[in-house]
Amino acid sequence: MPVIEVQDLRKSYDDVKAVDGVSFSVAVGEVFGMLGPNGAGKTTTVEILEGLRPRDAGSVGVLGLDPGRDAGDLKRKIGVQLQQVSLYPRLRVAEVIELFASFYGRAGVVDHLLALLGLEERRRAFVKDLSGGQQQRLSVALAMVNDPPIIFLDEPTTGMDPQARRSLWETIEQFKAEGRTVLLTTHYMEEAERLCDRVAVMDHGRIIAMDTPDDLVRAHFAEDAIEFSQRDGLTESEVESLPAVVNASIQGDQVSMFSDDVPASMAALLQLGQERGEPIQNLRLRRATLEDVFLKLTGRTLRD
Amino acid sequence: MRALAQLTLANTREFTRDRAALFWTFAFPLLFVLIFGLVFSRDSVTQYEIGLIDDDGSPQASVLVDTLEAMDVFDLSRGSLTDEIASLADGDRRAVIAIPSGWGASIDAGAPMPVEIHYDETRQSSQQIVVPVILQAFEAVDRTLTQSQPVVRPAFQTLRSERLSTIDFIVPGIVAFSVMNAGVFGAVNIVSLRERRVLRRLQATPVSRLTLVTADLILRMVLVLAQSAILIAIARLVFDIRLNSDVGSLAALAGVVVLGGLAFLAIGFFLGSFTKTEQGFFPVAQVVTFPMMFISGVFFPLEFMPDWLRPVINVLPLTHLAEATRQLMIGGATTIPMGVAVAAMAAYLVVFVALAVRLFRWE
Repeated sequence: MPVIEVQDLRKSYDDVKAVDGVSFSVAVGEVFGMLGPNGAGKTTTVEILEGLRPRDAGSVGVLGLDPGRDAGDLKRKIGVQLQQVSLYPRLRVAEVIELFASFYGRAGVVDHLLALLGLEERRRAFVKDLSGGQQQRLSVALAMVNDPPIIFLDEPTTGMDPQARRSLWETIEQFKAEGRTVLLTTHYMEEAERLCDRVAVMDHGRIIAMDTPDDLVRAHFAEDAIEFSQRDGLTESEVESLPAVVNASIQGDQVSMFSDDVPASMAALLQLGQERGEPIQNLRLRRATLEDVFLKLTGRTLRD
Repeated sequence: MRALAQLTLANTREFTRDRAALFWTFAFPLLFVLIFGLVFSRDSVTQYEIGLIDDDGSPQASVLVDTLEAMDVFDLSRGSLTDEIASLADGDRRAVIAIPSGWGASIDAGAPMPVEIHYDETRQSSQQIVVPVILQAFEAVDRTLTQSQPVVRPAFQTLRSERLSTIDFIVPGIVAFSVMNAGVFGAVNIVSLRERRVLRRLQATPVSRLTLVTADLILRMVLVLAQSAILIAIARLVFDIRLNSDVGSLAALAGVVVLGGLAFLAIGFFLGSFTKTEQGFFPVAQVVTFPMMFISGVFFPLEFMPDWLRPVINVLPLTHLAEATRQLMIGGATTIPMGVAVAAMAAYLVVFVALAVRLFRWE
């Protein structure tokens, strides 16, 4: 049973079509990811679902409620984390949690949430003294303050160091293990691959691909990626003309090529490098990722 | 209710943990009062001018006159009752003592007549220092004349002088000016919450706009009341300013302060809806408040203002707040009647609340 259903959602700001006909649904207990660069329309979509913005067209249902009409009821039931909120700087961590709990008529949740997000030691710290990662964790704690069955996380790990990021991933996995639903936006493909049951890849207000991370990769790349760095010389078409190479891209000095016969392509590449007197450096072989899918579909990287 | 209490608490904590905000709200206006007070305060008296009228001329009356004359703290002046009372009204005497004709004889007859003490009830030092010293002198005379029996019976006559000193005039102005600043600049809280996207985050919770604004109002109104009370108390204590201190006047004053505070907060909210950042808000608020400080009769009486400017001055909200505050604190006639001032502030409140609600943005 879907907890989120979106049909042909549209939203424009002046002449810009921020969301241009988006449709998807999310099932109970699913972690659904929206992947795409800044300005792709992820945040606008999410904020419409949260009842924070009116939509221009399309139908939207969250927990059976219409965010445009029943925003009041909806807000009581969902958990929300927004981007770039800098909370009350002179309140203490526990005070902020208590404040937000009071909006839902809840009390006694502070200890549990501090433990869940690993903030026990910062309990009496002022918000302004928290690190970026700790502030992000606090804002995720606030999204869980009403014990919601569904939680919206908008780029929750931005600004976190790798360790803090992994620890938040565990929290989200635990949340999912309790049977709750998560809608997550991110521009980290590693995050999407690790957490998401399904991913919608967004660009220019549209969903350009949607599937499980594995199937997305497999659908676009039957091949493996060969990567290396070069100082100059090889062009994209030269690389693509190597045997068994089906697709290549050059970003700066980084070359990626996809091959359905790795030994053949690699032998030819090394020979070409030798002939040109241009050594092939940092040669490595890897599986294709969501990042590759995105690059193939849009010609851009996620961080562009 | 719990959300309102928690939000109010959060705002209060944010405020009290912000040293700069504390300074601008409490220390800054006080500094104004102290500076103006030191410049314009009455001379610091170590000797009190006392008028003495002896209509009796009996030996007993001479004892009383000699006793008073022997006291260094008094500078006696002898004149007719009418002249001395007039001097008292002008503020040139702290008290006037009148010995009635036949007083000595009445003591001998065992039924002493009262000796009148006139003083200005609005001058606190008169009540607290001068009158007690006079009473001490009377007791000393009692002992001289009868060994113990009280024969000098004081009869107090109070008087309210209409003469105002500059500081009496300025303190109500500073109170009004501080209420304006606390109101207009108090609106920066909402601007800052919006800039930091906290409003957006609060919008995603079930808390209502009304609860949010009410929590802000509660703190702001407590602040303007506390600020005004501290200002007035210190001005009274240090400079002995004129103040109608009966409960009715003080309650009305509190009401005017809150009404003015709300009106200026509404104006602040209105200005805040045009500015995206806290940094952008301050200059706009300055442009609105700064000129009013000079032309709204805060520091100079409205009569000093040029005629061509009067129509403008008469519609400014600070003019009405300052006039109402002054009227309640020191009484007397003012340029703008109380009812008009209150109605004008209420009108500002209604209009700017309506505008602020229309222009409100979460982000």
